[in-house]
Amino acid sequence: MNTVFKLAASALALSFAAGMANADDAFWKEAAAPYQGVTLRGVTESSPPSLYIREVLAPQFEELTGIRVDIETTSWDQMFDKAIKDMEAGTGIYDMVYIEQDIVYSYLARDFLTDTTQLLADNPALKAPTYDEGNFTTFADYFRGENGHLYGIPMEAFIKIYLYRTDLFEDPEIQASFKEKTGRDLAPATTHAEYTEIAKFFYEYGQENDLQLWGATVQGHTGHPASWYEYVETVAPTFGIYNWGIDADNNYAATVANGGEMNSDTAKEALQWWLDLRQYAAPESNQSTWTEVGTTFGAGRAAQGLVYGENAGWIAADDTKSLVVGKVGVALPPLADGVMAEVEGGEGYIGYYDGGAFGLPSTSKNKEAAALFLEYIGQNEVQPDWAVAAPRVTNTATYDDPKVQDMNEELGGYYDMLRDKGYLFAGAPAYPFHAQLREAMAPTFYSILTGDSSVSDGLDKMAEIAEATLTELGYRK
Amino acid sequence: MQSNRLGWILLAPTLAILFFFGVLPFIYVVYVSFHQWNPFAADPTMIFNGADNFRKIVFDAEFLNSVGVTVLFVLFAVISELVVGYILAQAFMKEFPGKAIFRTIHTLPLIMAPIIVGSVWKLMMTPSIGIIPHYLNEWFGITVNIGTSPVAAFATIIIMDIWHWTPLVTLTLIAALVSLPPDPFEQAQIDGANKRQIFFHITVPMIAPAVVATVFIRLMDALRTVDEVWMLTGGGPGSATRFVGVHIFKEVFPKTNYGYGSTISVIVLYLTIVACWLLYVTMLAPRSKKD
Repeated sequence: MNTVFKLAASALALSFAAGMANADDAFWKEAAAPYQGVTLRGVTESSPPSLYIREVLAPQFEELTGIRVDIETTSWDQMFDKAIKDMEAGTGIYDMVYIEQDIVYSYLARDFLTDTTQLLADNPALKAPTYDEGNFTTFADYFRGENGHLYGIPMEAFIKIYLYRTDLFEDPEIQASFKEKTGRDLAPATTHAEYTEIAKFFYEYGQENDLQLWGATVQGHTGHPASWYEYVETVAPTFGIYNWGIDADNNYAATVANGGEMNSDTAKEALQWWLDLRQYAAPESNQSTWTEVGTTFGAGRAAQGLVYGENAGWIAADDTKSLVVGKVGVALPPLADGVMAEVEGGEGYIGYYDGGAFGLPSTSKNKEAAALFLEYIGQNEVQPDWAVAAPRVTNTATYDDPKVQDMNEELGGYYDMLRDKGYLFAGAPAYPFHAQLREAMAPTFYSILTGDSSVSDGLDKMAEIAEATLTELGYRK
Repeated sequence: MQSNRLGWILLAPTLAILFFFGVLPFIYVVYVSFHQWNPFAADPTMIFNGADNFRKIVFDAEFLNSVGVTVLFVLFAVISELVVGYILAQAFMKEFPGKAIFRTIHTLPLIMAPIIVGSVWKLMMTPSIGIIPHYLNEWFGITVNIGTSPVAAFATIIIMDIWHWTPLVTLTLIAALVSLPPDPFEQAQIDGANKRQIFFHITVPMIAPAVVATVFIRLMDALRTVDEVWMLTGGGPGSATRFVGVHIFKEVFPKTNYGYGSTISVIVLYLTIVACWLLYVTMLAPRSKKD
């Protein structure tokens, strides 16, 4: 009797779910009816989450609604170039643009984006029953305007984490050798000194055993902003230097003399620590951007590294690309004394919470149809497969999905860390001048990397350039 | 009169395209160059600032460095391409087994987009993984790292440019050499002239217009090189390969400094015209006078 009851209940639940699915399908068809023949165009970075949109979600949406979606995936630089030119000139080529978390403030300042909350409120026929802003994690808050409305639908969110090779860290012979050399047990580093010690150990281990193995990854390209970002977003916060060392509440001060921290002794210590790591890092490090760092780790050429979470998925689970599948552990980055207490107390952050959203340009000529697509990619229903294909979580419910739980195991608990420790990480500071300031300081920063400037002189000069540039841009009075 | 009108009618579409896509944008760039304009500044509007941008450029160490690096690059690259291109053109004038295949292979780099060339060379030059550093190390014990060595990065870009563009020079010079009349050469040989005399007194003067045209094209291309360098080094290490094209790109796009970026563009255009004029005066003008 009990079995019969269960079967009947299951059948009822299935038919209810099927009915709901049909109802949902009916909504999309009905809502899309006025926009038949429309082609939506989007531009985004060629990253795993974006490729999933292009390859999977866009075709699904097309099949469901009849609205064609062309997603252009290109390099990070080209993406911004194309999107900004389009929105600045008002040509309306793109109906969706990728908004990286750090550029949203610039876009909002220029009124480049459509208020999606308002758009859906003004057009109830467009509001999908399966779309709810309340489904998003708190990461969505980065894309809210001053009125609390969403100006972008979160499409990727991940933390930059400390990855390490479990096969090496758990090898008894290596553990014994490490203990003999350092006097302590081999475990993921919690301090900078430990991190360097592990890097040195594995560098020597690789050399002694003629292996293509080095001690760490370093995102240290000597001519690409990726190196700048590794320093300000990943390294400096672990020493307690936040927001690039600029005090926005103090007239955007950058120099110590004016109340900033960009050239403080702690900042210099942080940069020096990172530069010193390069001696134990894979030789390609000084040509590595975020992509190559993932590739280096995936190729098994580094024992540990600070890696963007968007790459963690394929590194840990895709054996067509990665040589370290099933051999990856995750941990929090190493920290200086007092930083964790400071962050737990609500001040600062320990690393970068990266991500982005799809925004609807004010200049789009197909706002309503584009809003439908943005709702489609924001539904809980499409998230689990997306999170498995590219480790990113933007909706709270995604964490509990069985597929995501399985992936969590493969990723050594990455999703648990994202959910439980995500609050320790933060996105880029709310500056509307990221690229402008970064590029003004970049030549000096690169000269530090090449050794043409000392860390001390270079950071002093960068802090001065920062203040001069902010004055020129009109932010610093 | 009627044929005159027909001529203008036939020319009109070309002139219209040139006006809208060449002249108008140029006038706009000149206009913007007299303004302070950064759409991400606190005040995103265009503000007329007279010749301030032009004054600033004189003291801009980054710009001056980029001009210096670019001039060096142009000298090394264009001269090397001319010499190698001429040698290859002479080789292709003779018959040898497999000539057609070799000529086809030699021309292949020319059809590749610069961005692809940059990507391929980046793969080949990645420290320790790339095929070139790998074999240089294995065979000769030489360690090459374009991420740390300015000389290695600069030399790699020159070699990449020579590999990419020499075929253009070769093809142009082959066309010039093929069209030379045989009589002056035969007469010179009868008069007892040696190969060096024939080369300097007959070949060079006769192919000079083609050489100058080729140098003009390569000079202008080399001065605005961006794609390959962007892919290969990003302008680094430091500012070692931050050519003027890369400098303008970084100024205009990431920094969105449209006003100052336009000023640099105008100045670079001016410098290019001056360089071409100097080249014309030194190479062709004396010949015109003699004629």
